[in-house]
Amino acid sequence: MTMNHRRSLANRYNALKSTGPRSAAGKRASSQNSRKHGLNSAPDFESSLEYRALVELIAEEGFSGFACADIASSLLNYRRVMDAYYDTYTSPEPVDEFLLDANVKASNPIFSELLSPSGSEPQDVREMAAFFASMQRQERRKGGPVSRRTTDSHKLIRYHRNGIARLSRAVRQG
Amino acid sequence: MSYNVHFGINVDVPMTVENKSKSLLPFLSSPKLLPNESEAEFQSGLQSLLSELDNPSPLAVALVSQLNESLWWIKRHTVDKELLLHEAMARLLSKAGSYTETYDNRKVSEALERYLDGSADTDEAEWIDDILAESKLTLSDLRVRAFKDAAKHIKMVDDLIHRQHQTMRHLQRSIDAIDYKSRLIKRMDLELAALESRQSLKGVLSLDDEPSQEPCKSLQCT
Repeated sequence: MTMNHRRSLANRYNALKSTGPRSAAGKRASSQNSRKHGLNSAPDFESSLEYRALVELIAEEGFSGFACADIASSLLNYRRVMDAYYDTYTSPEPVDEFLLDANVKASNPIFSELLSPSGSEPQDVREMAAFFASMQRQERRKGGPVSRRTTDSHKLIRYHRNGIARLSRAVRQG
Repeated sequence: MSYNVHFGINVDVPMTVENKSKSLLPFLSSPKLLPNESEAEFQSGLQSLLSELDNPSPLAVALVSQLNESLWWIKRHTVDKELLLHEAMARLLSKAGSYTETYDNRKVSEALERYLDGSADTDEAEWIDDILAESKLTLSDLRVRAFKDAAKHIKMVDDLIHRQHQTMRHLQRSIDAIDYKSRLIKRMDLELAALESRQSLKGVLSLDDEPSQEPCKSLQCT
């Protein structure tokens, strides 16, 4: 176990004692921690330049004003979904290889050594080992990078389905 | 004729000069490629799809570009299925040695890849053979067990591929609708033109008729 791994382990263990952010800025920052793709937020396409240009170009193909607006916004929405899909696919949660491969039992002496400055008790070492083992279980359940990106991309299926259905409906009804 | 319908993508389709400058694609975000993917292959796929368009209007070109992207995603996900299987095989092998020592998952994965390709050196091949022997598995057993382990994720990839097929179906229907609409407009234009010409012909005929009626009037008068 390298020094970095020890530090990271100690940081994670100490973070368990944290009671969360206190300042307004900290709370604002941590409120975005679980933000994944932003597809649940309502987009404002109507005020963008792209939207206006698309509406003008589609109007030249003989669509009504309402249909042009609908097709332009659904096209932009579909591209937004596909961009999020690509981003999710290309940047899955990184694999913690140290955690994935580490042997928990063999790490017990290191845990006691890490906790020694604070006067480690056998109970503390057991707690830390249990915490480490639970993190490892979580990490192993997520699998390797391909499994992770598959799981993450799979979560976007409903956005993809809704996006293309909206686009198709707009074009066919236009 | 080659021209740019997208950021950095040259497409060869017959379109009018007006349409070239009126493409929708510069206003939409472009499909991105992964670092190891060939842009030339992507472009040639797009070109072949565009060449099949009867009426390449800007909206149809934009939809065909989305169709090409869906095809590309299907290719990516198909490769992913094989990668998932490989990942599961490497994980099983890493676990196999956990009673005696902990194997580095990445090291096992890389060695297994070379072993399956047949490009592994003798040390690596022996190492993989040893782990297989230790875990009392043959390569086909390992593959079967890996398939079982990765079944959940392989099913997810199948769902993703199915979704792309459905997307393609939607896009195809939309392109057909545009094509039908443009043909309908053309047909209505032709009918209108025919009606107008018929009307003008009638006008000419009625003008021609007028002098012939005049003698009648004159006859009536007499």
